[in-house]
Amino acid sequence: MDRRQFLVGCGCCGLVGAFPALALATSTNTDVWQAPQRFQRPLAGSEEGGLWAMMDREEAKLRRSMFLIKERPLNDYLTRIATRLAGEHSLDIRVYPVRTPLFNASMAPNGMLQIWSGLLLRMANEAQLAAIIGHEIGHYLSRHSLDRLRDAKSRSAFGQFLGIALSAAGAGGTAPLAQMALVAGMFAYGRDQEREADRIGLELMSKAGYEPMEASKVWAQLLAEINAEKDWSGAPAEKSVLFASHPPAVERQDDLVARAKRLSAGQLSPYEGDYASMLAPYRREWLEDELKRRKSGETLALLEIMLQRSPGDSELRFFLGETYRLRAADGDMERAMNEYRAAAERPDTPAELYRSMGMIQRQQGDHQSAKDSFRHYLAARPEAVDATMILSYLEKGS
Amino acid sequence: MRWLLLGVVVLLASCANVTKIGPGKVSVNEKMVTQLDKAWNRIDAPGKGKVEIWTADGLPLDRLTFYPAIGDGEALAELQGRKEKQQPRFHVGMPPHEIVELFETVVAADGSTFRLDKLSPTAFAGGEGFRFDYSVLRKEDEVELKGVAYGVVQHGKLFLMTFSAPKTHYFGKHLSSVESIAGSVQIRN
Amino acid sequence: MVFHKNFGRLLLLVLVFLAQAANASPAQSPGFKTLPSGSKVVLMPMDVELFSISAGGVLEPQAEWTSQALGNLKGAFHTREHKNAIVFSELPDEPDDAIDSLNRLHGAVGSAINFHHFGPMNLPTKEKRLEWTLGPDVATIRQKTGADYALFTFMRDSYASGERVAAMVVAAMFGVGLGGGVQVGYVSLVDLSSGEILWFNQLVRGTGDLRTASSAKESLDALLDKFPE
Repeated sequence: MDRRQFLVGCGCCGLVGAFPALALATSTNTDVWQAPQRFQRPLAGSEEGGLWAMMDREEAKLRRSMFLIKERPLNDYLTRIATRLAGEHSLDIRVYPVRTPLFNASMAPNGMLQIWSGLLLRMANEAQLAAIIGHEIGHYLSRHSLDRLRDAKSRSAFGQFLGIALSAAGAGGTAPLAQMALVAGMFAYGRDQEREADRIGLELMSKAGYEPMEASKVWAQLLAEINAEKDWSGAPAEKSVLFASHPPAVERQDDLVARAKRLSAGQLSPYEGDYASMLAPYRREWLEDELKRRKSGETLALLEIMLQRSPGDSELRFFLGETYRLRAADGDMERAMNEYRAAAERPDTPAELYRSMGMIQRQQGDHQSAKDSFRHYLAARPEAVDATMILSYLEKGS
Repeated sequence: MRWLLLGVVVLLASCANVTKIGPGKVSVNEKMVTQLDKAWNRIDAPGKGKVEIWTADGLPLDRLTFYPAIGDGEALAELQGRKEKQQPRFHVGMPPHEIVELFETVVAADGSTFRLDKLSPTAFAGGEGFRFDYSVLRKEDEVELKGVAYGVVQHGKLFLMTFSAPKTHYFGKHLSSVESIAGSVQIRN
Repeated sequence: MVFHKNFGRLLLLVLVFLAQAANASPAQSPGFKTLPSGSKVVLMPMDVELFSISAGGVLEPQAEWTSQALGNLKGAFHTREHKNAIVFSELPDEPDDAIDSLNRLHGAVGSAINFHHFGPMNLPTKEKRLEWTLGPDVATIRQKTGADYALFTFMRDSYASGERVAAMVVAAMFGVGLGGGVQVGYVSLVDLSSGEILWFNQLVRGTGDLRTASSAKESLDALLDKFPE
């Protein structure tokens, strides 16, 4: 496997061009680190200035995109986190949540920070989200891309990546995700840079009052998903955009854990309450987007982790059942039914669960149970868009 | 670059022919037959397999797609860059809801969004089939589309016909023509 | 890398267009002759992107050039001698969902015309007629601007960098023709009372420069060659 493909960045950098480089007060031995002063916009005619101008144009497009999630509460929430982490630099950062069912966050050199819904879905709590945002800010503050983006090829790749990220359109049918992973690999950061960004991210997190140990959990979860997909479908890990944008190499994991232990008093509790209620209005839609990907390995791993955190969550259990039903491998119908049955006993179960149960029961030849299930669904959703279809299942009886 | 890269279009441009079909009786990939009240344009491209694509105003605008005789275990469409187990496959015994879910996966593969607006039983191709209406936000150029599709499973094979066009003007323009095509589809034995 | 592949396809299509201009440019919708005297035409936000081509053929978006080009094109519109008292105005650059939606639709319509009217995939049912529309929803543009017509402009322009030119010279010495820049674009005139595309001019050539005011003027003149005023 090509090492470069693992060491992919987040599409970000802290390019400043004309502004004199401030030496960061960092040292490999101690944890002392000081944030630089706010950056100035580079001169228009300079190389970096051109890159900045490209970012501005992409940002103007993003602001008009139909895939931008515009609701104020979510946007304000994300901005608050960025502000806690980045201090005065947050004045130069704009956060954009985008509806794309992939794990990705990228900070462009002009301070435009995109966070995708696939990532937001996967965060267990605010501290984990702060870890991601902090990592991106780490790259931004350290101006890591300077070397990488001096190379014309990687600059054009970067521009492409943004273009692709916005429009995720394949070049004549090529899988957009594979293409993104490939392109992202062209402006990859080095291992040291990733480690540096991790480090800064942890500093920022703990200064802001977030539990730094949560950072290592994010990567552990990502790795679990990727391995699960590999086990299931054989999809090689390096083709996954998840993997391409944030390679969870083992030493980085160990590093994150070790540093977090040093920083953390172990007594701070991660901000959990806020996150769940922030996610609530979106979670159903984003889980449906996740199902459509048909990456059963990843989805199962994700849902299992989410259920470990809240075992009584019947919506999650419903989606776990759905994943099995859609996967339709040997034994999956039984697995799906087990999940539906477990969730069916709970009060806040989505009515769609009964529809899915009915479909499986019908396929298994248990027509009486199927009818009961379909009736249950219709009673809860008399105005459903598929009501007439369900009625026909009832009428036909077999 | 986007104006050129509307999915199928670039692949076809280098080696595709366009044939006028109808009005009158028209065969779809030798597996189906239908009656057209006006002429349409059929895109003939080598290597597209059994899927057939027609258009009235052009591929970036409206597309009428036929998926004839999809068998048990067969993918509805071979999505690029995916392993076998990640392809959306038809299975005999799938209810219409699950067929809609297959189609949804195909549409959403490039990041487009899909919303089901209606699903009902209807006679199609001489059998008890189904019709569904849907809305799509196309990722590539962010154009909002509306769609209608008809399907039936006969002799263990899925026959599906889908039509998508921009919700502004174009969907409405062709809807009754598409409905009448659906109304006259027959399966060849 | 991937962009290079895209550009390769673009080049292929461009060459196909050049080789077999199925229909002559500009095209007019049946029955349309010229704009009435004193017509008000609103300029829709121009979709323009400029790229440079590196020695190895890698396409790089050049945002500075693009900004310059937009400024130059707008300037060229305003300093152009419009005949027949045609008045050009600009659409105010504020967010407007309905107009953004029509803009996006026009992108798709423009693609369709490029491929299926001028390009290699003619639609036999059209019988070589320019028959496309945005539909009656264009009334929102009319209401907002008071214009009778709208003009959409699209340009993709690439320029060989110094190294590229050097590479071309060397290649030519060996009898190999390396592609320099390509200018591809269109201008589309829409009737705001019906949404009909009245006039469409496709431009495909290996010359033209949008980066300076005077040469941008030349490109605009090429785009508006035989403009029905």
